[in-house]
Amino acid sequence: MKLKIFLLSIVCFVGCTDLDIPPMNVIQDKDVFTTEGGIRIYMARCYSELPLEDFRYSPTRGTNHFWIINPQPANTGEALSRDLNGSTTEGFNFWERAYPLLREANYFLQTLPTYAGNFQQADVNHWMGEARFIRAVTYMALVKRYGGVPIVNTVLNYPEQSIEELRVPRASEAAVYDSIAADLDFAYNNMKPTSESGRANKYVAAAFKSRAMLYAGSIAKYNQIQLFDGNQNRLCGIPATRANEYFKAAYDAAVLLEGQYSLYRKNWTAGDKAAQMQNYINLFFDATSGENILIKGYKYPETVHGYDAYNVPRQLMGGNGYSSEVNPTLNLVELFDGIPKNADGTIQTLDATGKYILYTNTLDLFANAEPRLRASVIVPGDVFKNESIEIYRGIYTGAVAGGIDRLLPEGSTAPYPAANIVSSANAQQTPFTLPDGSKKNPAGRSGVFTADGTAAVSGFSVRKYLDPARPTAEVLENRSDQTWIEMRYAEVLLNRAEAAYELYAGGQAGNYLQDAFNIINQIRDRAGAVLLGSIAELNNINIVRNERRKELAFENKVWWDLKRWRILDKEQNGTVYRTLMPFYAAGAGKYFFDARFDERNSRYTFDTRWYYQEIPGSEISKSQNLIQNPGY
Amino acid sequence: MKNISLFILILMASACTKKFDDYPEPKETLAGNVKTAAAKVNLQSEAGDRGIRLVLEELSWSKTPTPYYFFAMQDGSFRNTKIFKGNYRISVEGPFVPLLQYDGSGQITVDNRKTMDIAGTTNVDFEVEPFLNVEWIGEPAYNSANQAISVQVRFTRGTANPLFQQNVTDVFLFVSPNTYVGNNNYDNKYSVQVNYSGTTGNDQLGQTVTLTTKDKLPASRAYYLRVGARVDYGLKYYNYTTVKTLNIP
Repeated sequence: MKLKIFLLSIVCFVGCTDLDIPPMNVIQDKDVFTTEGGIRIYMARCYSELPLEDFRYSPTRGTNHFWIINPQPANTGEALSRDLNGSTTEGFNFWERAYPLLREANYFLQTLPTYAGNFQQADVNHWMGEARFIRAVTYMALVKRYGGVPIVNTVLNYPEQSIEELRVPRASEAAVYDSIAADLDFAYNNMKPTSESGRANKYVAAAFKSRAMLYAGSIAKYNQIQLFDGNQNRLCGIPATRANEYFKAAYDAAVLLEGQYSLYRKNWTAGDKAAQMQNYINLFFDATSGENILIKGYKYPETVHGYDAYNVPRQLMGGNGYSSEVNPTLNLVELFDGIPKNADGTIQTLDATGKYILYTNTLDLFANAEPRLRASVIVPGDVFKNESIEIYRGIYTGAVAGGIDRLLPEGSTAPYPAANIVSSANAQQTPFTLPDGSKKNPAGRSGVFTADGTAAVSGFSVRKYLDPARPTAEVLENRSDQTWIEMRYAEVLLNRAEAAYELYAGGQAGNYLQDAFNIINQIRDRAGAVLLGSIAELNNINIVRNERRKELAFENKVWWDLKRWRILDKEQNGTVYRTLMPFYAAGAGKYFFDARFDERNSRYTFDTRWYYQEIPGSEISKSQNLIQNPGY
Repeated sequence: MKNISLFILILMASACTKKFDDYPEPKETLAGNVKTAAAKVNLQSEAGDRGIRLVLEELSWSKTPTPYYFFAMQDGSFRNTKIFKGNYRISVEGPFVPLLQYDGSGQITVDNRKTMDIAGTTNVDFEVEPFLNVEWIGEPAYNSANQAISVQVRFTRGTANPLFQQNVTDVFLFVSPNTYVGNNNYDNKYSVQVNYSGTTGNDQLGQTVTLTTKDKLPASRAYYLRVGARVDYGLKYYNYTTVKTLNIP
């Protein structure tokens, strides 16, 4: 026994000295912060964690998730979906994802100066700016969800710091936006003008500042909810007096990008709608586009998504059996130009006597449609991947002499009557024999079916971002790898136009209205839309907002816009969205269109509490200093 | 070696305490009503988290405790029989002028919360000013020809405080096959909402508003009816009438 203890103590003494080294299998600061490659790897992780609402985002499952069958556009009125049928708020804990990333940015900011001697000063400044950019984008993702959040701009350490010190309370909402502005100003002042694709530079920082400050200005102007802590910090809401200050900051930041980026017009030809449409489609696929400000790249097989698999029209469905998750609403389509409209702005489907207008092909209704519409939305009969996308709801077998009356009264949400209408429950169709003896399926190959939601349930299918070159064999989950454009110059211009209009409306001196007018027309010109005739026509903020909703449709931005404008509870207030149902009139051999409320009767009501999302209970359990948002 | 084993055994035995949680179980009762300040009648709301909510902050241990919430019933009464004994600051939140108000800089301007000990059965009533008073006029009428129910209501301001006299945004006739009827629970096939834009809703204040159900109500059953109206303030909760039952023959 004694001998054993003696031997053991010898082993201990001998062992101790040699074991006192950093573990050889763990990467140390000196391995990372001494080479450019190390910095690049550190940043690669930060960017991969960056909270972008891209191809891998859905409100139910959050960011960086492969399964996006609950698409955000089906939450905003942009689209209808089989799998998201009512207003929803985010159902995942974003909070716990944000603070680790903030820590990584803070650790970088704290550590890099120690190793600055290994690099050129300009590089060090650039990277310091880059980490501040990462931090700002993360705070932005927090503040737009929760309002004021704890500002943690240092690396917290336990047990060196006490638990009570680590329970950082929420800062005011304005303080968080101010912190974002400070970070992005630092980034602008310290970063280089260019960077490798997918990484920030000084202009990227300015672009994000224009977005953040526009959000802050909108909150100050439109928010009515207030929540104070006991120390006069306003956790929810910003004093209205600060609105113009934020709008000015948004405007000034957007102006910084002038001349650095441009709207994509490589294939654009004046007066040629086909070329303008193709130009708009290409904008999302051209890696050399001068409009791209910050992109998130994907590359099969390392980093992938399933956007095509979930969203292709039904007739181009891939092997996983998904399709048509994003079906644009008629409400969205009616915002665009070039389709026949009634006096109230709704689509015209009836003639002066109240009978349906007949068309030889479904595409005829959209013959003069704005190119941007057809580049964003596949309308019935349009061509995608060299196929005509067949969308119609049924065959009308009733009498056609003297015209066809409305199938349902105006405003009805009832199902179509069974009489005189042949329809299909799903894609296994039984052809119907037409009066001339030929056969025709009761519904289009991409829908609309009465019992199968994997079809164009709204009468439209999304086109934006769908890869036109990907063969159907590759239309699979985790197989797509097109690039996500998180920030493009069109958004910066629209930020500028909106800020300018708000400044004008807020009585600020300057040439703001003229500037907003010029920008709206630049955007419209590229889109092939009808230009504003004069400055006097720009007399309503909704003109600027609708331009944004059209230009940025299906880019997962609109939900946040509707929230910051504080209009979502009014737009979604027992709301049923509208659809456009083409029918084939067997007796006439022609198509007609019925504009109606969603036959599925999906009703949207936005809960006003969701303007400020619930702080996850698990976070409040960890830190009782966190005050919950109102109503939860 | 045996000694060591024994020592470890003793260590383990002493480490795990045999004492149970020795706090008394929560068995105090807090009950009461939320009433309108003017008429002293119970304030109607909806069951659940968009109705009336009690906020309890137990001050016995901390000045800034995590609040404990529970909901009042839809008739404005509340009763919770599982509260820990202690000193509490109690507040209610709902479709009425908040008991706790701040000015623009975050200074508390109004604080009508109540601080009290809860022991045994503690009764407390709150008197609040609803944003709107919504009242029935007459009884709901069933029209068998078009299988619809018509009701008449009147809504008026429940507070003279101009800070809480926002525009009336909508009035809603809720129809449900069970007694829990309101914005949280209604059949949208029959219920009907009238939206007002801008200040047009304010013109209806004090007027008789007639609402008629949509679609055709099936026969031989009872329907529960309620009308809600709201102003454009905060979380936009509804103020309600009482629930009326209508038996359709």
